[in-house]
Amino acid sequence: MSINRVLIYSVLTFVALLYLLPLVVMLITSLKDLDEIRSGTLLSLPQSLNFDAWGKAWGTACTGVSCEGLKGYFWNSVLIVVPAVAISTVLGALNGYVLTKWKFRGSDLFFGMLLIGTMIPFQVILLPMARTLGFFGLSGTTSGLIMVHIIYGLAFTTLFFRNYYISIPTELVNAARIDGAGFWLIFFRIILPVSIPIIVVSVIWQFTQIWNDFLFGVVYSSGDSQPITVALNNLVNTSTGIKEYNVDMAAAIIAALPTLLVYVVAGKYFVKGLTAGAVKG
Amino acid sequence: MHALKIQNVEKTYGKVNVLKGINIEIEPGQFLILVGPSGCGKSTLLNMIAGLEEVTNGNILIGDRNVTHLDPKDRDIAMVFQSYALYPNMTVRQNISFGLEIRKTEKSEQKVIVDKVSKLLQIEPLLDRKPKQLSGGQRQRVAMGRALARDPSIFLFDEPLSNLDAKLRVEMRSEIKELHQRVGTTIVYVTHDQIEAMTLGDVIAVMKDGEIQQMGSPQEIYDNPRNQFVAGFMGSPSMNFIPCRIEQVEGVMQIGLESAGEQHQVIIKQTIPGLASYAGKNVVLGIRPEQITQQGEDKVDSAMLDCAVEIIEPTGPDTQITARINGVKTICRIHPTAECKLDELMPLMLDMSKVVFFDPDTKQRIY
Amino acid sequence: MKKKSSAPRQSLGNFLPKLVVAPTFVVAVIFIYGFMFLNAWLSFSSSRMLPTYDWAGTIQYEKLFANDRWWVAAENLLLFGGLFIVICLLLGLFLAIFLDQKIRAEGAIRTIYLYPMALSFIVTGTAWKWILNPELGIQRLVREMGFESFTFDWLVNTEMAIYTVVIAGVWQSSGFVMALCLAGLRGIDDNIIKAAKVDGASMPLIYRKIIIPGLRPVFFSALIVLTHIAIKSFDLIVALTGGGPGFATDVPATFMYTYSFTRGQIGLGSAASMMMLMAVAAIIVPYLYSELREKKDEH
Repeated sequence: MSINRVLIYSVLTFVALLYLLPLVVMLITSLKDLDEIRSGTLLSLPQSLNFDAWGKAWGTACTGVSCEGLKGYFWNSVLIVVPAVAISTVLGALNGYVLTKWKFRGSDLFFGMLLIGTMIPFQVILLPMARTLGFFGLSGTTSGLIMVHIIYGLAFTTLFFRNYYISIPTELVNAARIDGAGFWLIFFRIILPVSIPIIVVSVIWQFTQIWNDFLFGVVYSSGDSQPITVALNNLVNTSTGIKEYNVDMAAAIIAALPTLLVYVVAGKYFVKGLTAGAVKG
Repeated sequence: MHALKIQNVEKTYGKVNVLKGINIEIEPGQFLILVGPSGCGKSTLLNMIAGLEEVTNGNILIGDRNVTHLDPKDRDIAMVFQSYALYPNMTVRQNISFGLEIRKTEKSEQKVIVDKVSKLLQIEPLLDRKPKQLSGGQRQRVAMGRALARDPSIFLFDEPLSNLDAKLRVEMRSEIKELHQRVGTTIVYVTHDQIEAMTLGDVIAVMKDGEIQQMGSPQEIYDNPRNQFVAGFMGSPSMNFIPCRIEQVEGVMQIGLESAGEQHQVIIKQTIPGLASYAGKNVVLGIRPEQITQQGEDKVDSAMLDCAVEIIEPTGPDTQITARINGVKTICRIHPTAECKLDELMPLMLDMSKVVFFDPDTKQRIY
Repeated sequence: MKKKSSAPRQSLGNFLPKLVVAPTFVVAVIFIYGFMFLNAWLSFSSSRMLPTYDWAGTIQYEKLFANDRWWVAAENLLLFGGLFIVICLLLGLFLAIFLDQKIRAEGAIRTIYLYPMALSFIVTGTAWKWILNPELGIQRLVREMGFESFTFDWLVNTEMAIYTVVIAGVWQSSGFVMALCLAGLRGIDDNIIKAAKVDGASMPLIYRKIIIPGLRPVFFSALIVLTHIAIKSFDLIVALTGGGPGFATDVPATFMYTYSFTRGQIGLGSAASMMMLMAVAAIIVPYLYSELREKKDEH
């Protein structure tokens, strides 16, 4: 190998280590006890694999008022993510289908309108939404949060499906119409079967966005209805007594595991979603 | 009863007038070709016959029924698309029977129809494959099979051979012709390839800018073009258009042709009454390459010219020569064995019995 | 021959397709545009703890601009945003160029560079908060390695804290720029590069004159997205510094949250959010305009 190649590989590997370091540090720290943490450094290995901090993070750590660890909030997040992802994906698919294969006057304008919805900072709808949820008795509930995620996820899912369906030739739909198929038949028998790649992209993207969300969670949920990101932040920032860094790290890893796992398993779809979102129009 | 009747059909997109008053009538069993350059409106017209696009004005009748506002599925038509448009997630068998399934045909009858159609098109071994496993020609046949299975009163073809390579195109062309002879259904076929038009059609409609320029049998359109556009569009290599001056000398029409520095006066023996009013003016002479050959047996109505050979292109069955008459590049077709050398003078014979004349300004034919 | 594909004609009246997108349409009108309008109204009202829909002119904006903390937040956004965007772009481009050299473990390395984007900003903030811990984090690590007098207390240093946000942000998002640039690099026509080589150009020259200019559209996409991320930054700061020390790392997003939801100053908060909207619009609108004009030119 030439000097150039050696240089390139070294740089890339070094940078890769830098990227991995925080995760490694988190892992190591979560497996130490407090004495080891106080006497060692970030990179000093634990003497034994001590999973106490994990147990605490899951079941007994204090997240604000209650001290029952992250487990309840983990399930909250699941409860929020599943319907929100499902509904926003289904609606996004139907929207994309109509906007590309059943265009009507103003459909392009409508799409443009939606597109703007992907660009606004959510701070501008935060207050009115809070008021609205309060009005309908949905503030501080899981259902309210689900609704919010669906509403603001629609623009993205529609974008994904619309950009994907545009490349399905209209002749295919025309052939089906001549064969006698109508709106729904064409969707279920012809469009949907070839939509698997984009469905995966949309689900993974939405899952990651909604699971990782904090802004909507912290504003629209409270107490028992909080998602795991909010609980994690509470856990880490509650300063009652000694800071248990190992519990903090274990908790962070628990919160990160689902999206990390999805990324490792289906990473390429994740990337497709990222690049599709950036290549607008 | 006409198989298809298009009455005064117009189509506008916003302010653009894409089709301007189309009138067509064809009999059952006829093969109609819509041919023209891109943008002429032929595909739009086909889509309107299919019901995939709305008619702005006018009527479309299939058989006795006014279908102008009916859905595609109610018009008893079938269509073969340029990109075949096969359903990617279904097998060939399912592709063919999809339309039957929607019409709730009995499963047993579906099977009979699929078997018959696949036998006719020789695609039986492909029935359980998916479209992506098929070659271009095979896909084309499946697309035709799908259309045949519906047993419609009219078949619509939208440039079905454009995506095939040249050799396959010629093969499929004769297969379509054969199919038409066997099955005998009315066909409306869109193409931009004038060779396809000539070889396949019973009736050709040459279109340009949303209007039908001329409609007739292939030979009629070839021999008797109504204007310069039709004359130049049909036939390859295309007709030569030579501007020349026409004189009336002692009651006889003559045109002046200059070649390789020599001036010739050629007598027009054809009876073309309209020419008289152009005496002393310029007209455009239209003469096809195959009407300019090497000198051989004297034909009744021919002219002899010596021409300087500029380009020689052997094609196998003949040799194409580019010469210059009246300053215009003229393509001639000579026998492959005739002697000719680059930049040398060659004696050529022009068959004047079939030449045509056009008004240089209106481009219309002078009769 | 390219065919102009025509959209299918509407049948069954054209009400069914419209019916299907109607819910989304209603949602968009109400929850995006309606709310933006309401929010704007709030910013012109005298709302405090509870929203009141009166007309109070521009007093909220005046209060905003007279608020020192707001200016700290705005300045922080410029500082953090600027550094974050520039470093991410440079780093991402650099890494992409290196990765494009037919590396054997490319897939694995790409996966490693991108995984931070799968994490919540809260997780990122929590992790880096620990790593940059003034006593037990990097400072101690480097000291143990022999540099006895090394100090790294940026996290609690009023002047330097904002730079910790840059570090954490770059770690999370540079992989994304790398992915975009890599896709862009791969999209450059090989034949152009071959032609340049035949003409005698050296690789560095080819990079400078052909490849990097060819990445312009990708750069713009990345710029837009990064700007967006920067302006919206909320989670990261909450988890990493809590806006502190004091409010040294406040940004408009945290400012807005604090004043709206913990200080009962809804009017002020909505004014802050409108400013954020305008910042985003200032970037997006010219970009959209140039995109649309390009499309029109292409016809």
